[in-house]
Amino acid sequence: MPNIQLAWLIALLTYSVQVLADDSGSGYQLGRGYTLGDSGIHLGGYANAQMHSQGPSPTGFSLEDLSLFVSWDNGSKLRYFSETEVEDGLSIKEGQSLTTGLAKFRLERLYLDYLVNDNVTLRTGKFLTPIGQWNLMHASPLVWTSTRPVATNNLFAEHATGIMLQGVIPLSERSIEYSVYSDYTSSLDPKRGDAPNFDNAQGLRLRYSLYDNLQIGFSYADFALMGDTNSRNHLTGLDLAWSYQRFAINSEIVYRDSNSLSVSQHAWQGYIQGVSPLTESLYAVGRYEFFDQAQQQTGEAEVLGLAYRPTPSLVMKVEYRLGKHNRQLAPDGLFASFTVLF
Amino acid sequence: MRNLGTILIRLIAVYLMCFSLPGLAVESLALVTHPSSNLNSLSLETIKLVYLRKLMLASDGSRWIPLNLPSTHELRRAFSISLFKKLPEEQESYWNEQYFQGLTPPQVLASEEAVLRFVAITPGALGYVQKHSVDDRVKVLQIISIADLN
Repeated sequence: MPNIQLAWLIALLTYSVQVLADDSGSGYQLGRGYTLGDSGIHLGGYANAQMHSQGPSPTGFSLEDLSLFVSWDNGSKLRYFSETEVEDGLSIKEGQSLTTGLAKFRLERLYLDYLVNDNVTLRTGKFLTPIGQWNLMHASPLVWTSTRPVATNNLFAEHATGIMLQGVIPLSERSIEYSVYSDYTSSLDPKRGDAPNFDNAQGLRLRYSLYDNLQIGFSYADFALMGDTNSRNHLTGLDLAWSYQRFAINSEIVYRDSNSLSVSQHAWQGYIQGVSPLTESLYAVGRYEFFDQAQQQTGEAEVLGLAYRPTPSLVMKVEYRLGKHNRQLAPDGLFASFTVLF
Repeated sequence: MRNLGTILIRLIAVYLMCFSLPGLAVESLALVTHPSSNLNSLSLETIKLVYLRKLMLASDGSRWIPLNLPSTHELRRAFSISLFKKLPEEQESYWNEQYFQGLTPPQVLASEEAVLRFVAITPGALGYVQKHSVDDRVKVLQIISIADLN
């Protein structure tokens, strides 16, 4: 019976995407959202349905994310953006029936941007922590795998709430992007299970394009985590993104040292991921990751998968993850997802 | 000998450009803005950043309004290759990422004449047309020679 419901869900999702795509002739374009007349308000978002089969756990399927973007920009120096997410809106597990009982509403992002001058923008509100590449582009239609590398959110909080100065500084024929931020409140942060939340934080990120197809990034953060406010953590990260035609390599490495007694005092984590086209729409993806973890040996995981991208806004992915000392943070298993920007 | 090599490379670049953009009779593009702009020129890197929507404000504090032609328009394709070394469809993943940050691609107008009319009445607008299409309704900030950029 659950399999029939699962089939219905997939059919419904596929039909919805088809309907949305057919709207392109009337001004709507899939993956670009919808502008409300001359109001400056733009609506959009993405959906991600995921199936996973991990070790002894029952196979499960869920509408993992349904995110709605609302932005406003009327051409003045002020801009607004918010992302509200329903997590696990629909879910089903082997031997159980379809439920909405696990659904959670999250305020993922909410901020106002003020354009100070051509090189400086002031952002106030809740935003993604600018550490590495993945955390800033973590939406499922933008990444190549259903699973997320441990290094991209295990040692720091995914969000910061406070103020950030950011911008681009042209340097001769290249430019450098920067972000400097300070987190000083948790009032917009929902409780997220074991996910770390900042109590307070300061940090910066720099990103430089060595060539048009090669970018390097540097991140630094000094922070205290909720539940462990007496300890300071210092995190340093390096990242790299290279692409050539449709091939791509991405890598991130982070190091955190802490004076906390409750977490590992020194931790390294990182990954390297390669993407290679197989046909016009099909890609092979491989990733290796390692991660120091508290009270266990350093974990490792390898991911091998396929991603089918018939249009830039629509991706279907399937992958298998295998590793050692990885049961807690990146368990072995088969993962598949269907994801669309709308 | 070295000059001969340079000439050969340029000839090959022009040959490749002609074949990758069949039927395109454009030798230069003019980047144009509103005549009241206090700018006299704009570097290629700055133009790039404005069209990628990473630079929102001009040095005088006004908002940039970059304009594109439709992605199938020959001039758009020439502009895209000249500036980004990519065709418009090869920039889709970039715009997906920007969409996640709340940014949409530059506004698209149907023709060169539409670009000229829009730029003529809109301070901060930035568009491109063929060099010979420029008239006194707009101010030229940069001439992009396709061959020079390859």
